[in-house]
Amino acid sequence: MKHLSVVAAMALLAACSQQDQAPAAPAQAGKGPPPPPPYQMRPEAPTGNRLAGGDGKTLFEYHCGYCHLTGGMGTNLLTKQRMMAGETPEKGLLANRADLTADYVKQVVRMGKNAMPPQTRVDLTDAELDAVAIYLGRAK
Amino acid sequence: MKLVTPPRVSPQQFDAAMQAMAGVVGKDWVMASDADRDAYADAYAPGPQEQWPAGAAVAPASVEEVQAIVRLANEHKVPLWPVARGKNLGYGTAAPRMAGSVVLDLGRMNRILELDEKLAYCVVEPGVGFFDLYEEIQRRKLPLWMSVPGNAWGSVIGNALEHGIGYTPYGLHARNLCGIEAVLPDGDLVRTGMGAMKDNPAWHLFPMSYGPTFDLAFTQSNLGVVTKAGVWLQPAPESSLELVFDIPNAEDVSWVVDTIAPLKISGLIDQNVFIPSWLGKMVLKGQRKDFWDKPSAIPEWRVQELLKEHKLGYWQVALRLYGEEPVVKAKAEIIKAAMARNLKARAAEHWWHTGDPINAYETTMGIPSAVPLQMSDWIGGRGAHMGFSPVVPATGKHVAEQMQRSRKIIDSFDVDFYASFTIGGRFANNVNMLMFDRDQPQQIETIKQLFNALIEETAKAGYGEYRTHLGWMDRVADTFDFNQNALRRFTEKVKDALDPNGIIAPGKQGIWPSAYRDSAKEGRA
Repeated sequence: MKHLSVVAAMALLAACSQQDQAPAAPAQAGKGPPPPPPYQMRPEAPTGNRLAGGDGKTLFEYHCGYCHLTGGMGTNLLTKQRMMAGETPEKGLLANRADLTADYVKQVVRMGKNAMPPQTRVDLTDAELDAVAIYLGRAK
Repeated sequence: MKLVTPPRVSPQQFDAAMQAMAGVVGKDWVMASDADRDAYADAYAPGPQEQWPAGAAVAPASVEEVQAIVRLANEHKVPLWPVARGKNLGYGTAAPRMAGSVVLDLGRMNRILELDEKLAYCVVEPGVGFFDLYEEIQRRKLPLWMSVPGNAWGSVIGNALEHGIGYTPYGLHARNLCGIEAVLPDGDLVRTGMGAMKDNPAWHLFPMSYGPTFDLAFTQSNLGVVTKAGVWLQPAPESSLELVFDIPNAEDVSWVVDTIAPLKISGLIDQNVFIPSWLGKMVLKGQRKDFWDKPSAIPEWRVQELLKEHKLGYWQVALRLYGEEPVVKAKAEIIKAAMARNLKARAAEHWWHTGDPINAYETTMGIPSAVPLQMSDWIGGRGAHMGFSPVVPATGKHVAEQMQRSRKIIDSFDVDFYASFTIGGRFANNVNMLMFDRDQPQQIETIKQLFNALIEETAKAGYGEYRTHLGWMDRVADTFDFNQNALRRFTEKVKDALDPNGIIAPGKQGIWPSAYRDSAKEGRA
């Protein structure tokens, strides 16, 4: 498992998260990894005053979705990391995590972590970050 | 990061300037805390981020606000560093060349103003990212394709202004710009091309002005702040075919270029053809330590083992054709016959037809993705990369010599060799990717020395870079030495005439206004 390639892991994850679509054919031994996932659309840009925050889920998907939806760069790296920690591949999606605290989310967003650069207040305002941190920060 | 003010500006004067700018954009869009300065630093800096510190950042929401900020910058003698979305990763991110400059973050100006299906173009503001434009095209179900760079997190306009390159028929992104609106250093507003006439509907269609044409003068430039631009898009083709050739040996790149470049120049191949070496595939398969656990460069015998184990050629050419199926088929036969002169193995063929799904990583079909940035994980830790990117003529001889030259230098520093060539027409763009861990000072020192050696030796051979990181902008500018750097002298004359206070992006690409020319020696890597 440790050496499962990222491509295979992310394709596996894509298969896991497409329950509403036709089931993907199971990967067969010797035939290589399943195909890469389709592009996942983000929600439309939230309207209104960005300084007032908004719906955490929508804000997360819109502002963080470049990397943290299915098939994104952050999801791929986290999938590998979580699987090496003995967890299931769908934990590579931040939206499936139950171990993040709101403060931790805020810290990583503003300070960056490993491959992730820090996000400015134009990328995500403080009020938007508060909403995203509440949405993702399910651990107490 | 603590406050560093621009030259000759006291903290009190700087604060007064920020308060004046807050009067334009609102206090929440003036970002001047230590944490804000950290967020606008170069996340991939080779060495301490404090080498290129922003004083603050200001985020206007409209052209009028940009004009007002530029006028205040003149009044307070506080220089601005405009960024579109600030995702110029590997080249400085959003950080300014001159310490204390205020980042003019245009990320809030993110409207798609026009999207024309019939004439295949859009008009966008600088804050519009590749993802935003792609999704808007999908929502409106328009038969238009984009060209995207490897990291598509950034801005459509910003990438084009930085001379970014993609891998479609529209891959020379600066060439897709048609009709620019820019705020000049004195706050005046200008429109180029047919846009110089009020409400001219051909503004974003005819690529020249009546008289001198200045569009490209605003690229890699500090002559103005681009606030909107027309960008040409590719009409969606009826079908597309990808031909994947595995090329066994390093020296084969010579015949590959001599085979492909003539077909590109003749127009039979219309995309920019990307020729990455094997390491481009390996970085997605795991981390370096999984394949070679020593700090020294991966030796040739191990490279050969890895190629065998992973069934990789030294190079892989994934060539894509676009258009009506019979045309694509006919082109494919010509390409396959040409490649067969030197290659026994047949190409893998992947057809696509209108209506077929497209996966999230099809860069050659204009799908935006940030996944290529995963390579930063190859090194582990806080991985980062820089690209050494000279341009050479698209002939086997020039390409092979360039590869041998850079490989010899990179080998002598005991660093992994990870090269690619992109055939964009009559030229090939060579990117030598240098990866490092931001927490390993020795690695960073090696990479910096290596970078200097590459610039020097490549210039001696007669070639220059197309783009570079903040810390090398002056050194690379020095290499463009015809008639004692006549082009730089010309640009600096223009700069001084347009921007006597030097407040727009001092030092950008080695162009210093006289007001700050004495700062040119600072901030060199």
